[in-house]
Amino acid sequence: MLPSILASGLAIGAVYALIGITYNTMFSASRVMSFTAGQLGMLGGVLGSLFILRLGLPPIVGFVVTLAACAVVGVITEVVAVRPVLSKLDQHLYVLSTLALALMIQQVTAIEWSTEPQPFPRLFGIGNGGPWDEKFWLPLVACAVVVIGLEYLYRRTLVGRAFLAISEDNFAARALGLPERNLRIASYAMAAVIGGIAGFASGELLLAFFANGAMLNFYGFVPVALGGLGNNRGAIIGGLALGLFQQAANFTFGGVFASVAVFIVFIVVLLAAPQGLFGATAARRV
Amino acid sequence: MDTNVKTAPAAIATKAAAGGGWRGSLQFVIVLALAIVLPFVGNDYWTLIGTRAAIYWVFVSGLNLAVGFGGQLAIGYVALLTLGAYTASVLVAGNLGPAWPALPALGAAGAVGAVAGVIIGLPALRLRTFYFAMTTLGFATIITQIALAWQSVTGGGIGVAGPVLPAPFDNTLGFYFFCLCAAVICTWMTANLARSRFGRSLVAVRDAEVAAESTGISKSGLLMSVFLFSGAVAGIAGGLFATLQSYITPDAFTFDLSVLFFIAILIGGRGSIIGPLLGTVLLTVLPEFAAPLVAWSTFLYAALLLVIVLAIPGGIADLLDFANRRPLQSGRAITPRPGGLGELLNHGSAKQEITLKSVVLAFGGVRAIDGLDLSITPGQVHGLIGPNGSGKTTTLNVISGYYKPESGGVTLGSNDLMAGAPQTRARLGIARTFQTPRSIGEASVLENVMIGGTVDGTATFVESMLSLPRHRRDEAALRKEAMAALRAVGLDALAAVRADRLQHSELRFMEIARALMLHPLFLLLDEPAAGLSPDEIRRLGELIKAISKCGTGVLLVEHHADLIFDICDHVTVLNLGKELAAGTPADIRAHKEVVSAYLGA
Amino acid sequence: MTITRRGFTAGTAGLAATGLAAASLARPAIADSSPISVGWMGALTGPLAAPSIGFDRGMRWALEQVNKAGGIKGRKIDAVVRDTQGDPTKAVNATQELISRVKVDICWGPPNSGESLATTPIMARAKMPSLHPCVVNALIDPEKYPNAFRLAPSNMQWDEAVRNYCLKILKINEVAIFGDSTGYGTSAVKDSVAGFTKDKAKIVYSGVIDPNQSDVTPDLLRMRDAGAKALVCWSVTTGLNSRIMNTRAAIGWDVPIVGHPALGTGEVGKLVTKPSNWANVYIVGYKSCSFGADGKLPPRSQAFLDRVKGKIELSDSVLWWVTCAVDAIDLIGQAVKQTGSTKADAFIDYFNTVQHYPGLFGDYSFSPQQHNGYPTEEVVMSAANSQREGAYALAPGYV
Repeated sequence: MLPSILASGLAIGAVYALIGITYNTMFSASRVMSFTAGQLGMLGGVLGSLFILRLGLPPIVGFVVTLAACAVVGVITEVVAVRPVLSKLDQHLYVLSTLALALMIQQVTAIEWSTEPQPFPRLFGIGNGGPWDEKFWLPLVACAVVVIGLEYLYRRTLVGRAFLAISEDNFAARALGLPERNLRIASYAMAAVIGGIAGFASGELLLAFFANGAMLNFYGFVPVALGGLGNNRGAIIGGLALGLFQQAANFTFGGVFASVAVFIVFIVVLLAAPQGLFGATAARRV
Repeated sequence: MDTNVKTAPAAIATKAAAGGGWRGSLQFVIVLALAIVLPFVGNDYWTLIGTRAAIYWVFVSGLNLAVGFGGQLAIGYVALLTLGAYTASVLVAGNLGPAWPALPALGAAGAVGAVAGVIIGLPALRLRTFYFAMTTLGFATIITQIALAWQSVTGGGIGVAGPVLPAPFDNTLGFYFFCLCAAVICTWMTANLARSRFGRSLVAVRDAEVAAESTGISKSGLLMSVFLFSGAVAGIAGGLFATLQSYITPDAFTFDLSVLFFIAILIGGRGSIIGPLLGTVLLTVLPEFAAPLVAWSTFLYAALLLVIVLAIPGGIADLLDFANRRPLQSGRAITPRPGGLGELLNHGSAKQEITLKSVVLAFGGVRAIDGLDLSITPGQVHGLIGPNGSGKTTTLNVISGYYKPESGGVTLGSNDLMAGAPQTRARLGIARTFQTPRSIGEASVLENVMIGGTVDGTATFVESMLSLPRHRRDEAALRKEAMAALRAVGLDALAAVRADRLQHSELRFMEIARALMLHPLFLLLDEPAAGLSPDEIRRLGELIKAISKCGTGVLLVEHHADLIFDICDHVTVLNLGKELAAGTPADIRAHKEVVSAYLGA
Repeated sequence: MTITRRGFTAGTAGLAATGLAAASLARPAIADSSPISVGWMGALTGPLAAPSIGFDRGMRWALEQVNKAGGIKGRKIDAVVRDTQGDPTKAVNATQELISRVKVDICWGPPNSGESLATTPIMARAKMPSLHPCVVNALIDPEKYPNAFRLAPSNMQWDEAVRNYCLKILKINEVAIFGDSTGYGTSAVKDSVAGFTKDKAKIVYSGVIDPNQSDVTPDLLRMRDAGAKALVCWSVTTGLNSRIMNTRAAIGWDVPIVGHPALGTGEVGKLVTKPSNWANVYIVGYKSCSFGADGKLPPRSQAFLDRVKGKIELSDSVLWWVTCAVDAIDLIGQAVKQTGSTKADAFIDYFNTVQHYPGLFGDYSFSPQQHNGYPTEEVVMSAANSQREGAYALAPGYV
């Protein structure tokens, strides 16, 4: 019993954490939380299944094409729903512009793909559905790879440092002559790739299903809220904790009460610690 | 120019700003007339669609205050419709205690909705936009899940029959007119609120939150009142919705419905009543003509939402706002008439000084203010100059309560001024302007100025909602004072113009007019001359001088040395958060260090 | 060919309706040639569309047959179709539109529970005759809704079939009852628990599962530890249903799953990791749409299949959705033929007299007190993984 709760809790928690990082990456480049974060997770699964199962591409090619397609969606998000709003008087409207784009992505998937979950290919064929099955550890591996990759990018590369500079202080970075707009587009593409990885790695677990987007939007946001905005370490701890809590609650209470419990804990924690449990930077107002 | 010519546009402006006069009401009357005729020219089907539009509007009218005016993006607000529908249905069905009659049950739905509205709205006080939006979604999910799980009361997935209203409202026509009445009442109440200090404050919280705080607007009290009201009407709308649907199950309350309501508000235009009203009608009727597109309906709604947000943020209301499309006179000059100041600043000289004592404030290790002493004396102009980053604006922000000093304090006479509580300053008669003018672009100049007098209002939220005498007296007094303030700064001819059509220099004078609404004992001005022409600077100087003559203590943060030396009684020069020099303008001009470091040769 | 079969059905039903012949004689001699208009509402698009698409195919085919043969007494049957997407709000609007603006003669649908619960009282208020393909119990109440008749089984009949199969055929007394946490799932679990309790079965576990739950191992382990010998599943969620079967295999538990027809859709078949995971799963089915032990359908159904071969796509649908819709159109035509009228009272009075009307899906009988027209003994269990042409093989244990 315990192994299976741990396996599925950590697996789904890793997916939430990755979506949380997707939110954070978009936020640090633009100060915008985008509703498309969860949809990218959904697209990772749906496109993976489309390219590999339906179009018959080899898995590795399918993986690369999926991520490329997700990156395009990320860039579209920036161009269509984020950039125009940032120049507006009321920037809060990004909530509605990204929500609208997210709904459009979801609706097109529902109509053109399927409203029923579709199978996702077995990638390695390791395990037989037990706690050591690949569907449980693939998301964890993906999460680890993304974290290591991001650390390397931020610490060792010039582009990564430029990302950091932008997220620290937008105006100062622009004053330094950093190409703020290009970096923002690159961040959105990168965030989208992370979301796509989350979806692809969890394809076997969550299936290629259009409704996963809305689900991941919410549960992927919880780690951000718990861990603090822009705090990736917080998102990972928050995501894994949420996954374990959810599976444990499913097991102990089951069904309706489990999801109500998650929502109530979320709202209470958020009200008690609006900056998250691990802290986030506050913006100057005057 | 002849005085008659000058006052005539002002009088028209006042009338137009008072809510459009007969013109504004005409639009509502036309809609109402069409609504009354509808059932007699159509059939039961159109009556049903009309009923649905009326019910949706009852819901949207409240949500409009929170979203359109207050800018609180409660995207899960449809939860209140669910709650109201279930409350009314469950009580009438007798699933919870004895069966209630339908009308009291509708009232109960309103009461439950009001309480839930406050609970759902509460996080808005602590959380930023996206976070708040997410919590409302969380509430929506919880309410749906409870409706599913609490089977003995709600019927679970099988649902529960909606209440049937007593005669004469139990048939299609009677029910239609019942809902139409509710819609008319909601329109009237929200229109009253929109034209009250509460409506203006909401918009101020949305578009200029910092300025709203400086005029003493209490965001928490205001938002709670609004959520209470919009929750109540949402609950009642829910009860009516259940009656219309005849039977409710959790799947009747889709997320699409939430999106639909948001589109209605945005397509109508934020900060408008008639716009969202027409938007609601449009979005209720449109799907009936677009049946072949039903498969893509959600997609089209989302696309519509995106287009509105990006392309026409002003919505229908902007299209109907003919007055603001007439070109403004070009080459306008601002001519303050300080003579009228006496009307506003008749409090006599203030008795006490504002004193800063060894104030220290650091941002992340950098000391922005480093042990500053300063005092502002009533009836005098105190100049604060210094290079960029020397702590001038920070000092102003400490006095007006936005920043909390690490050590030292600010006192008014013998009383400490509470740090970190900017909304307390207005009641003490401390007014301010901002380095970049904080105005509400979508509101008229007059309304912008009236916001400055919010704390003087005496009518309660309910009194304003019902347009009771005290509210009308408030409004008349505020309008009169605002016009006086506009005359004093020389903007009276532009009273009815939308603030976003003003030039930058005009906005600066408008901010001063807004500050004057507080009858300030102290006025803190943050670079009021920035971006002004030499002529305008001269007039500004005269205005400031005249204000101080009335007994008001002025703190003037400025870069224009000439202005400072012309009008100040006392000048402090700051450098790296410390006082470099202080004294009369003559002293400063003679100060060697200041001259070499700052004033130049 | 059409005429032969129509003659056959008309002959038998005509016997039951002779009492009404007088009513039709009273009508004016000039024949009414306006079309008979049938309002049809269903979720033709969206996540809930599958059944409505099946009903739609059957109805369109039946209309074509009737109209090709000259209609009923020279009157064509027209369908006025409204896509409600499973949204009760759209269904309410559409119902009022069909009643007040289009002024249809009779309504058919909607099949989804949330929609039909809302539209039924509205139709009752307007005295609009209606035929239901929806299984929710509460829809049929001759007192409250004297105008509503059901051509489908009721949920109670489904429940009974599942219970009988567990208790009498599998002879298992310890059951775990669960569903998804949708509106349908929660209420179906409640009804099923009540039914099994009444029959003194031992319910070792009952509950609902969030359809988004990515792994159901803990739930199944709890059921196993509680000592369940059969799983009664009332989930309509494809993902959850396939996860239940895959997890059952992963934990090596060979327990029968008995329950909702959604366990047997082709979509579930795509998601089981091994074909064997889909074995030992039994779903509600119907004698008329089941292959017997000899691998053959009942003759009436086989004849129908032969006729529609290549005309109605059945591989991705369910046979009873199609045949039930065909029956609905036939029954409407029959009513007009017998009464010569399209007035509401004529339809309702006629339906109230129908006895053993031999439809394709089953033999329907109504009376003024009983508007559930489908015979209980027709409802049986089938093997979930045996779908062919929209029909299933009878579950083991039936003769």
